[in-house]
Amino acid sequence: MPPSQLKQLKASLRENGVLGPQKSKKEKRQNAKTGVGAKSRNQREVALQAIRDRFNPFEIKTINKSSKFDVTTRDGNTTAGGGARPGVTKSLGEERRRATLLKEMNSRNKVGGLVDRRFGENDPTMTPEERAAERFARESQRKMRKESMFNLEDDDDEMQLTHMGQSLSFDGPNQDDFEAGDLEDAESDEEASRKRKRFPDGDENQDQDQEDFIDYGDEEQPGRKKTKAEVMKEVIAKSKFYKAERQQAKDDDEDLREELDKELPDLFEALRGIKPATKPAKPEAPKQDFSEMNPERAAMLEESQNSKDPEKEYDQRLRQMTFDQRSKPTDRTKTEEEKAEEEAERLKKLENDRLRRMRGEQLTDDEEDNMDQDEIPEDDESEIDDAAHFGLPAYPTEARPELGVEDEDDFIIDEDLVETNSNASLDMGDSDMEEEDEDSSSDESDGLDGEDELINGMTLPTEDSAAASTVAEVSKEANGKLAFTYPCPKDHESFLSITKNVAVEEIPTVIQRIRALHHPRLKPGNKDKLGRFAEVLVEHVSYMGNKTKQPPFAILENIIRHIHSLAKVHPLNVTIACRAQLREIGKERPLNLLPGDLILLTGLSTFFPTSDHFHTTATPAHLCLARYLGQCTTASLADLASGTFAASLCLQYQQVSKRYMPEFVNYTLNALCNLAPTEPIVKFGAFPYRKSQESVQLVSSKKVTPRKLQFRDVTTSPSDPQAQEELKISLLTTLVSLLGSASDIWAEKSAFTEIFTPVRAVLQYLRQSLKGKVYAAAQEPIQSTLDNIDSHLAQARLVRRPLFLHDHKPLAIKTAIPKFEENFNPDKHYDPDRERAESNRLKKEFKRERKGAMRELRKDASFVAREQLREKKERDAEYEKKYKRLVAEIQSQEGRAANEYERARGRR
Amino acid sequence: MPALVTDSSSKKRKSGKNASAPSSKRRAVAEDNFAEKLSTIQELENQIAESRKGYNNIATLLSMLNVEKSAEKPEMAVAVSLCRVFSRLIAGGNLTESSRAAENEKIVVAWLKERCLDYQNALVAIICEADASSQIAALTLSMRIVKERLAHIPGAENNVWSTGFFKDIFAAIIEAHNGQDLQSEAVAKFVKEYEDVRYYTFTQMADYASTTRSPEILETLIKILQACDEVPGPEHKFENFYAKRDTKNKRLVSANSHRKQAQEAWLAILRNNLSQSQRKSLLRMMVHNIEPWFNRPELLMDFLTDSYNVGGATSLLALSGLFYLIQEKNLDYPQFYTKLYSLLDSELLHSKHRSRFFRLLNTFLSSTHLPSTLVASFIKRLARLALNAPPSAIVVIVPFMYNFFKNHPTTTFMMHRSIRDKDLLAQVEKEGMDDPFDPNESDPNMTNAIESSLWEIVTLQSHFHPNVAAIARIISEQFTKQAYSLEDFLDHTYAGMVTADLGVEERNLKKIPVVEYQIPKRIFTDRLLEEDGGVDSGPGCFMRDLWEF
Repeated sequence: MPPSQLKQLKASLRENGVLGPQKSKKEKRQNAKTGVGAKSRNQREVALQAIRDRFNPFEIKTINKSSKFDVTTRDGNTTAGGGARPGVTKSLGEERRRATLLKEMNSRNKVGGLVDRRFGENDPTMTPEERAAERFARESQRKMRKESMFNLEDDDDEMQLTHMGQSLSFDGPNQDDFEAGDLEDAESDEEASRKRKRFPDGDENQDQDQEDFIDYGDEEQPGRKKTKAEVMKEVIAKSKFYKAERQQAKDDDEDLREELDKELPDLFEALRGIKPATKPAKPEAPKQDFSEMNPERAAMLEESQNSKDPEKEYDQRLRQMTFDQRSKPTDRTKTEEEKAEEEAERLKKLENDRLRRMRGEQLTDDEEDNMDQDEIPEDDESEIDDAAHFGLPAYPTEARPELGVEDEDDFIIDEDLVETNSNASLDMGDSDMEEEDEDSSSDESDGLDGEDELINGMTLPTEDSAAASTVAEVSKEANGKLAFTYPCPKDHESFLSITKNVAVEEIPTVIQRIRALHHPRLKPGNKDKLGRFAEVLVEHVSYMGNKTKQPPFAILENIIRHIHSLAKVHPLNVTIACRAQLREIGKERPLNLLPGDLILLTGLSTFFPTSDHFHTTATPAHLCLARYLGQCTTASLADLASGTFAASLCLQYQQVSKRYMPEFVNYTLNALCNLAPTEPIVKFGAFPYRKSQESVQLVSSKKVTPRKLQFRDVTTSPSDPQAQEELKISLLTTLVSLLGSASDIWAEKSAFTEIFTPVRAVLQYLRQSLKGKVYAAAQEPIQSTLDNIDSHLAQARLVRRPLFLHDHKPLAIKTAIPKFEENFNPDKHYDPDRERAESNRLKKEFKRERKGAMRELRKDASFVAREQLREKKERDAEYEKKYKRLVAEIQSQEGRAANEYERARGRR
Repeated sequence: MPALVTDSSSKKRKSGKNASAPSSKRRAVAEDNFAEKLSTIQELENQIAESRKGYNNIATLLSMLNVEKSAEKPEMAVAVSLCRVFSRLIAGGNLTESSRAAENEKIVVAWLKERCLDYQNALVAIICEADASSQIAALTLSMRIVKERLAHIPGAENNVWSTGFFKDIFAAIIEAHNGQDLQSEAVAKFVKEYEDVRYYTFTQMADYASTTRSPEILETLIKILQACDEVPGPEHKFENFYAKRDTKNKRLVSANSHRKQAQEAWLAILRNNLSQSQRKSLLRMMVHNIEPWFNRPELLMDFLTDSYNVGGATSLLALSGLFYLIQEKNLDYPQFYTKLYSLLDSELLHSKHRSRFFRLLNTFLSSTHLPSTLVASFIKRLARLALNAPPSAIVVIVPFMYNFFKNHPTTTFMMHRSIRDKDLLAQVEKEGMDDPFDPNESDPNMTNAIESSLWEIVTLQSHFHPNVAAIARIISEQFTKQAYSLEDFLDHTYAGMVTADLGVEERNLKKIPVVEYQIPKRIFTDRLLEEDGGVDSGPGCFMRDLWEF
């Protein structure tokens, strides 16, 4: 049995040292002196409180029924209210209410009052220390953002934090490395400032104040040994010393520089001597380097540059020296073999990238992963548009990750290569700026193949036009007439107006000059301009192709090469322009391609890789061609010629990637059937036979020999019947040879037999119907193509095996074993459904908050009621008191009067 | 024609006319003639209304109408006034002879009847030949007369509708010169509006089309019939009648008889000599416009089977109607699948009815009880066709096959077949193999397609368009999806694919497109050929080889 309550109390009191043996008087006195008493009193209070709590059973909430078994529940092991102290919380709440609600209640229906705007005041979450720190931080912040440099009032009016009467600002102590001369000034300055801070309007009593201040300082800092004057002297001495030191250093620098200046000519000599052997200097435009220089220096240099003072040469050389520093040879010069090897490696890498793009692999794998996920759809995804998985109705999958970065690197490497032959600006020190710019533009940004004469042609467009090899042929003598500067056209119309008076042959020169004049290095905006110029050029190519008088193909080729080189720097612009053209084709003339479109499509195949699995431009271009081949109608020989051109373009597109194009087969077989002298009676295969609107059958009586097709056949049909027959037979042989190439390209396809059996039938039919001397010339290509196809067919039969596509690893059956959670925590929710878990959490939180808020409101209400009751009681008590007082007063008066009356009566 | 619409008294009309006549006189001199004429007509009409003596004016007015000579330019004012005259007369009972009437009365009635007939013929002539506005006016006038006659002459129903005036009107409408406006007006104002007019139109049409007519006329008939697209249900309340209805006549209020008439009309047209395009358009509207009218759809059987046997697009279009009959009416069509199989020809995938066909084909082949050999034949045939198909067709075919493979697991051998027989394996390893599939066999059960493999689709996995290639690839991946919803793949076109690739306008490209790293030395010309030793082997040499620029 435990001891009684009283005994327990006594024991605990003793334990805590509240009760103890009586202390002697002496001890007590001692304690009072050292302050131990106060401390121990505090301790005692705390201990007493703890004991009181412990022994008051009503202070601690207990559980009504004890748990019988130890169980794990969602509610956790914390039993409800275990160890809670309702009394304390209640009193805390009461306190808080008194601080907030009561105040509100009291100030209700009242207007006005005092608001404490001190920072952090009445913020119960802040400790006094925090409050002070925050105030201090604010103060210094306000100091930092002084709105105006010369705003004196701001300075004056500023509130300052002080500690023990001293300013807490930092500018006081920081002032000691000022360069002021004499003590008086320094003193008055500093003091004035201090004084101003302390006594905002004490200017006229300066002297008096000063003395006050010094006195004050003495009083406050009793430990200080030196006087103010002494300190100031020390400070001044120090600052003078530093100043002298700085001067000395400056002089030394000067000397050193003079010395170096003297050595400069020698240095130049040395540099010139070595130059060819070492890596050449970068002929950066001098202007750019100003940015890295000290601005004043740059300004000075610039100034001297403009003026013709004798130091000009010196400055120039100095400038050049700064460039030399940046182009220090870091690597040794590479030998030719190494360079070749590097180049080969680079090309190999690019080729590999291209192959990977062709296979549709991602250079970064994320997209491929997405695709894979898409390909294994869950059952519940079935509502989603199936076709969307394949990008059919939706927008197509994005372009492959681009190689632009790598290209950019290459381009930089090559730029170096290009610059080897551009003479460094050292030699041209006396040439004026403009010419330098012109020169530096020669390192063509596109210069991927440094030896490409396109670039060489641009190297010195103004000085040496003969160097532009092919271009020069046409522009050599014309150079005298052509303007040297052209604005960079923003749209096709302005380009047309620029080239209005320029002969077609000179357009490449004009383009070249525009590109040189607007080289991106010359002006920051030039890059955008050239990008737009590239778009204009794309438009111009198809425009030129569509002109009735077709320009020479050398010119078109040159422009396309220009576009290509621009495309390396501005791939986006060229792509956008090409896509715009394709869109126009798709909208306006999908089944009636113009010669310009064909030229553009040809050009497009050179600057975009047509082998890519997906390419933003090449794929739509493919589709355009396929659509044309698949749906166009043949009305004339010219149509047939352009169809043949498109068909050959298709094969050209597929030279590398060898993808199958049904439209190509359909079109060529159709065209051959249409061209055959007699219309075929039987059907040769699954291709749909469409008769041409106007007969294009061979009807020749004279002997015709096939020739090489010309591009102008696309635009004009010959009127002479003999020429027509010639064109027909050449179309026929071209188509036949196209089929031969197609059989080479698609020889590996698993359905080669199925594709080419009809082809073979058609060719055999052609051979049959072209018998006779008239078409003797066409027999040979047909026969050779047939042989080719036959051999491929035999090969295809040999390698044909039944399909074995589903040799997959079998899919695992979905497991139904419950997931075992390591370290299961009943407090945690293991809902696999994220959203549901989240919503449950929110619901719970909401419920809790709601309950809490309701409880609070209820408590508030009861508090208010209690307060009101209290007030009422107070009022009543007061009234009662007053009433009693008055009654007493009256009674006493009455009594007095009665007494008086009694007395008076008694007297009588 | 306010007088026609408002049924006000003649006096009112008179005062209205009188008021308007002088005001028009005051106008320009050119109009004087016209006004004068109007006033004369008015006067003559008034005289007719006043007394019997004025009846002779009817003859005058009829001669003024002057139809015999030039029906193209009728005097519509006269026609209107005559219409009023006759309406009044009919309403007044002046055109009905009673047995008790005197002899001379009878003569007058007979004479009036004759005049009325004259007038009707004149109106029909106008409908036939005049310009559009007069035609429409004449139509309204004649329908007015029809109404009056039906309202006031007892027992005229049969007389007017089936044999009499309405028949003439109908023929006139159909044969009218430049009658598009007239016909659409007639359909909108009368045929669609009033149930009895529609009913009798059907009757007339059945009658009219029973003789062989020219294709243009058939076109018109079809158009009118097609316009009547609201088939009355069995609960339909017939309330909207143009003329007073004979209560004894129950036919007009029964939906069945309405449908019967329509059915007769349609059958008459279908039996006529239709042109190929008409046949196609009829087949196209078969399910939605024609079949609902038929009480006995099996009557369509002949037409549909004939069309199905025509082949080509017509067969395709006949399919849906035929299927309806097979499904609903238990039509037995022997060799249905053989025929269906034969429809899969080289033109199918290029035809514009492709998606329609695939929807039907999906229904026909959806049964899991079909023999696998048959399904395999369809799969193989489609695969063959896909080799020459546009991308939009390939995109349908492959998911279609996928669904087949899912439904008929035995056909999956077409994708995956390992040869167990050692001898056969050795033989195949040694000399390869031919496709066991016989493309020329017309019976889908005998093609041996199930022994074959789908090399065609594997080839299409390297189709030039990446999306198509991706779809073709589904047959070589694991079949985890239950089925592809065909509807998502059906209606793709070149244009749609181009738009999907290019967008309507330029969006921001997410990635910078790749540019060929090497600028080729030549594109069109033989530039710098000697540098490469005279042999052109750079990119694009293929084109330069074939073409001279």
